[in-house]
Amino acid sequence: MSQFLIRSRNSGDLDILEIDGELDAHTATQLEDAFKALIGRNRTRIVVNCAELQYISSAGLGVFMAYIEDVRGTGGDIKLSNLSPKVYNVFDLLGFPALYDILDDETEAVAKFSS
Amino acid sequence: MAEADPLDGRHARFELKTLLDTSRMLIESTDLDFVLNNLLLISMGKLFAPKAAILLRDPTDRKFRVAKNKGRTPFHEGQELPLPDPSTYGDTVYLDASHSEFPELLAGNGLPHLFQLRTRAQHMGFLVIGDKASKQPYSDREIEFLENLVNISAVAISNSLLVRELRQTNLQLDRKVQELHTLFDLSKEFNATVDRDPMLRVFKFALLGQMFIRSFLFVKKRRAEAPECLVHNGLKQLPDEAGMTYLLDLPDGHHHVGDRLRQESDLLAENGLQAVVTLSLQDERAILAVGPRATGDPYSESDFNFLSSLGNLALLSVQKTDLLRERIEKERIEEELSIARTIQERLLPNPLPKDDRLDLAAMNVSSRQVGGDYYDAVRRGDELYLAIADVTGKGIPASLLMANLQAMLHILTPLERGICEITGKINDVIYKNTPSDKFISFFWARFDSATGVFEYVNAGHNPPFLLRAGEDPIPLAEGGMLLGAMPTFVPYSSGTLHLGPGDLIALYTDGVSEAMDPADEEYGEERLLDVLMKNRVLSAADILNAVVEDVRRFTHDKYSDDITLLVIKHR
Repeated sequence: MSQFLIRSRNSGDLDILEIDGELDAHTATQLEDAFKALIGRNRTRIVVNCAELQYISSAGLGVFMAYIEDVRGTGGDIKLSNLSPKVYNVFDLLGFPALYDILDDETEAVAKFSS
Repeated sequence: MAEADPLDGRHARFELKTLLDTSRMLIESTDLDFVLNNLLLISMGKLFAPKAAILLRDPTDRKFRVAKNKGRTPFHEGQELPLPDPSTYGDTVYLDASHSEFPELLAGNGLPHLFQLRTRAQHMGFLVIGDKASKQPYSDREIEFLENLVNISAVAISNSLLVRELRQTNLQLDRKVQELHTLFDLSKEFNATVDRDPMLRVFKFALLGQMFIRSFLFVKKRRAEAPECLVHNGLKQLPDEAGMTYLLDLPDGHHHVGDRLRQESDLLAENGLQAVVTLSLQDERAILAVGPRATGDPYSESDFNFLSSLGNLALLSVQKTDLLRERIEKERIEEELSIARTIQERLLPNPLPKDDRLDLAAMNVSSRQVGGDYYDAVRRGDELYLAIADVTGKGIPASLLMANLQAMLHILTPLERGICEITGKINDVIYKNTPSDKFISFFWARFDSATGVFEYVNAGHNPPFLLRAGEDPIPLAEGGMLLGAMPTFVPYSSGTLHLGPGDLIALYTDGVSEAMDPADEEYGEERLLDVLMKNRVLSAADILNAVVEDVRRFTHDKYSDDITLLVIKHR
C-alpha cells in the first residue's frame, strides 16, 4: 500500500502543504481533502512543498487540475516548490509548467505570492 | 589574362575561413533555430542583402512553411507557401518572368534568389534571399559562396531536424509510458474498491491530470434504461436526458467537436467540450467528452486511444460494482424469501389433527419460494374445520393474502355464528384488504365428529368431489362469490352432508386439474376422478400419493403451478 502524508503549516497568510511519499490514485483523495478544507476556510494562497514527494501519478496531477480554478477564482493560487527531477519530469511531460508556477524552493514560491 | 588581385586572395581566404567556422559551429549544433539564424545572418551579412527567409518543407504534410525570416519580408513565421516540387530544380533558382509556378509574393517583394536546402537524401526547402541593398547583381563568386554555405547548412538542418524528431519521439514514448502507468495505477485502484464513488473520483483525477484538462463529462446507458451521468467536472451546463441521449447516439469512434456538433448539441457547445469518444461494453454504451487542454494542444489519435482505454477501464469497473450491488441485493431478497417460506410452511397444519372418524392427508408444493395456496385442518373440541384456498397470482403478494386468511380462520373458529354468515364477514375483510384484481377462491367445512355432519361453503373454489360407493361423484358447489371480489350483498349459502364409512372427499387447487403435459394438454378433472375412484379403498395418505404420482407422470415431472391437495376419507 502506498505511503503518503501531508503536513500543513501557516506562513503569514499563506498555507504551506508539505507532501511526503507517493501521490497516486490511492492517495489522491487525501490531497483533495486538504485542498477542499483550505478552500472551505477561504485559504487559497497555497504553496505545495514537494521536497519529500517520491512519486506522482496522473491522478495526483489531476487533483491540482481539479482545484486550480476554484483557487484562482478567489484570487489565490497553488504554487509548487522543491520538486525532485523525477517528479518534475512528470509535471513537465504533461505540460503543467505552462499553467502552474513551479519554483526551486519554498522561499521563492512564498516570495512569488507577494510579487 | 589579368594578374590575380591580392584583394581577391584575401577575400577568398576570408570566405574559406567563414565557411570553415560555420561548418564547425553547425556540425556541433543540433538546435534548428540556431542553425537557421546563422544561415540567414551570414548570407545577409556577406552579400549585403537586407532581407532573407528560410522555407522548410514539413515532413508530415509536405507543405512549405516560413521557418525563419529576417529584414522586411512579406512573411510571418509559420506562414504556408505553395511551392512547386523542388526536386525538378537545380541548386539555385532565379525567379524571372519564366517562373510563374512560384508565388508572386517572392519575386514581387524583391526576393528572387532561391537556394535549395538539400542533402543527397532529401529536399528540405529553400533559402530565399533578396537583391543586394546596392541593387548590384550577385557575382558568380558570391553565388558560389552561398551555395557552399547552403550545402553545409543543409546537413546541419537535416541533423537538427532528425534530432528534433527523435526528441519528439522520445517525448511521445515518455507520454505513452506515463499513460500506461496511469492505466495500471487505476486498474489496481479499481480492483481494490467495490464502491462507485471513490472509483469515479479517482477516474476523474487521472483524466484531469493525464489530459491536462479542466472539464469533462462521462455518461453511460444500459439497454433501455435512462442515460446516467457517472461523473463530470468543470461544466457550466449540467447534462439533461436529451443532451446525453444525443451524445450516446453518435456513431462509434472518435469525434472532434466542430461547428456541426456544436450546433446540434448545446451540451457540447455550452461547455466548450472539444472531443468525444464513444465506448461500448456488452449491453452498455458510454461517451467520454473532454474540454480543451490547458496546453492548447489538439487531441491526437494517441490521445483518443488513451481516452478510449481509460473510459473502457472505468466503464468496466462501474459495471462490476453495479453487478456486485445487484447480486448483494438479490441475495438479500433470496434470504428474506427463504425466511418467508419457513414462516409460510408453519402456517400450514403439521401434523394434521387426528380424528376418530376422518382420516386426513394433505400436501402443498409451491412453484416459487412462497405461494398463494392454502389448506388447513383445525380441531376445536368435537368440531374439525377443513379448508382449502387459492389466491390469484403467485409469490409474495399472494402469500401475504394467504397469511391474512389463515389468521382469520384461526381466530374465528370455533364459529359463534353460522358458517355462511362468517364467510360473508371474511369476504368483507378480504375485499377491504385487497386490490380489485386480487381474489381468493375458498372452500371450507365444519365437521362434527359426534354426529358426522359435514357443513360446507364454497366461495368460488373448484368444487371438491365427494365419492361414495355405488354413486356418481358429487361436486360440492354450494356457496357463493369468490372472496375479495365485492362486498357481501348476497349471503353465502351452505351445503350439508352426512358422512358415512368409506366416503371420500378430495379438496384440490387448480394447480392439480390444470397441470399440463409436454403437449400443453391439461390433466383435467376426469383424470383426477379416475385415479380417485381406482384408489378409493386405500387410506387418505395412499390416495394422496396415487394422485400426486399420476400428476407427476402426466406432466413428466414438470408441473409449474402451485399444487395443493387435501384428502378426507371416512374410516
